[in-house]
Amino acid sequence: MEKLGISYQAILPETILSLVAIAIMMIDAFARRIERKVAGAISLIGLLAAGAALLSLWGKNGETSYSGMIVTDDFRLFFGLIFILVAILILLISLRWVEDEKLPKGEYFALLLFATTGMLLMSAANDLVMIFLGLEITSIATYVLCGYRRNDLRSNESAVKYFILGSYSTAFLLYGIAMLYGASYRATATPVATTNLTLLKERIATGQIYSYEMLFAGAALMLVGFGFKIAAAPFHVWSPDVYEGAPTPITALLSTGSKASAFAAFARVFVLTFALAPVAMNSSGVPGNFQTTITNVLIVMAILTMTIGNFVAMVQTNIKRMLAYSSIAHAGYALVGLAAGDWSSVAFYMLGYVVINIGAFAIIEVIARRGDKRTEISDYAGIGFKSLGLATALSLFLLSLAGIPLTAGFMSKLLVFKSAWAAGANNKFFYYLVVIGVINSAVSWYYYLRVIVAMFFSDSTVEFKAPIISRSLATGLIIAILGTLYLGILPGNILNALERARDRIAMKK
Amino acid sequence: MISLSWYLGLSALLFTIGAIGVIIKRNVITIFLCIELMLNAVNLSFVSLSSYFKEISGQLFVFIVMTVAAAEAAVGLAIIISIFRNRASLNVDEADNLKM
Repeated sequence: MEKLGISYQAILPETILSLVAIAIMMIDAFARRIERKVAGAISLIGLLAAGAALLSLWGKNGETSYSGMIVTDDFRLFFGLIFILVAILILLISLRWVEDEKLPKGEYFALLLFATTGMLLMSAANDLVMIFLGLEITSIATYVLCGYRRNDLRSNESAVKYFILGSYSTAFLLYGIAMLYGASYRATATPVATTNLTLLKERIATGQIYSYEMLFAGAALMLVGFGFKIAAAPFHVWSPDVYEGAPTPITALLSTGSKASAFAAFARVFVLTFALAPVAMNSSGVPGNFQTTITNVLIVMAILTMTIGNFVAMVQTNIKRMLAYSSIAHAGYALVGLAAGDWSSVAFYMLGYVVINIGAFAIIEVIARRGDKRTEISDYAGIGFKSLGLATALSLFLLSLAGIPLTAGFMSKLLVFKSAWAAGANNKFFYYLVVIGVINSAVSWYYYLRVIVAMFFSDSTVEFKAPIISRSLATGLIIAILGTLYLGILPGNILNALERARDRIAMKK
Repeated sequence: MISLSWYLGLSALLFTIGAIGVIIKRNVITIFLCIELMLNAVNLSFVSLSSYFKEISGQLFVFIVMTVAAAEAAVGLAIIISIFRNRASLNVDEADNLKM
């Protein structure tokens, strides 16, 4: 902690992305207008370079830099690579879209890269200050992207709602950070109070905490803040409105990238810091345990999130809104893994969810046409045989979200339920959690199949012409399809790597 | 000397006023101001804890929060202007295009 620990290599991915984003904005400003293909190519190169820079950090196990602000470990690498993948896929599916909608191109790509920078910082953060900054960089960029179709009232409304509820939740998170800062005070240590997660964990583990009330309040407030960001019940009400109104590629970004980055920070604080530092709570004579309390709250939150998400999704008539509720339900499944204290299953869940969901939204984007006009489920009636390729791909993604074997959706659900079952040895509530989770995923088949049935087995009510698919979008779709199948059929390599990473981080502590 | 708990109590009170204001107010600008109040309540907590502990990092955090709040205000006001242009109303109850 004493030395500054400046290491440019440690923040190379973030530096590359922000510099590329600034370069795109500059070119756009000085050349009057930037060609979308040029901007897209520059962003793609930047993202690949950032991915390579991230890979160059491979093998470092928990080295910190910048006075302990940034940590480089396998956790950061896995989540970082997921965010790069998200950004590349979103770029591919929106390269043509941005032209068709006649939106300004320069800022679009720049904002996308800024959002990715924030996500990378969130997974690299080892200090609550850094988590806050990363979260805000992502949020501010996505507020703008939500309202990017400026003349569309739905897009405006989505941006206002996202902005207000996003900042509202950030305030809760920040108050939680302040409480933890106060709780960490120890007069004999240097520094006397801290927001550094490594030091915070040490102090919680040794029980030398200034005030347990503050520790509990801080954890609870941070739980509210993260709950908003991942759209977990009862803090999920913003997400259907925001997802429905935002332009479709941005909905894909919000439901995958923002959610995965919030999960990364959530896991960093609640799994790698709090859960690894159990301590008996003894103030004012109340026996109890900090860790068990948090775990029980997370279990209740996971049950509520899954159930509300799945049951409300059944009555939706708009496909984007339906997928928003489905996204809430999936946050619930991932919370099961988080409650079990197994971050590797959460990382795998997010990876699987990212490829499936971006694939599904890519198809919705093509079918919706200019101005997001056709997003009702009734618009999908009878399109199955008129546009066989798209309908088949959408069916694959929806079945995978429902959890059909041999796809990513099945493997990731299996993994979180497996880790929850293993955690049941210590806390029997996990058994109920797994049972409720399985019932929920059975319920979810209903609304996913409803779209497939509408596409293939009902007569079309509206005129439908097969849409033209651009090359970039086709590339994105192929990556998503291959990813969905690869993670479902041959997940071995990634699972082994994740398991090794989890053991390495657990051993170090 | 006024004890630490008074400062923390005031901060909690301001935060609560802000949080309730966001829920009950109907004008977007007022809601936005309530959010700013919440952020500044947190800043008060940071400053008082930091000064009580004689530890500087809490006060540095306040600068970061203020910078971020300014960036957020810039984006937020721009978003509010863009919805006002299309609708000519700042009442959040009328923003109900996206209800099911």
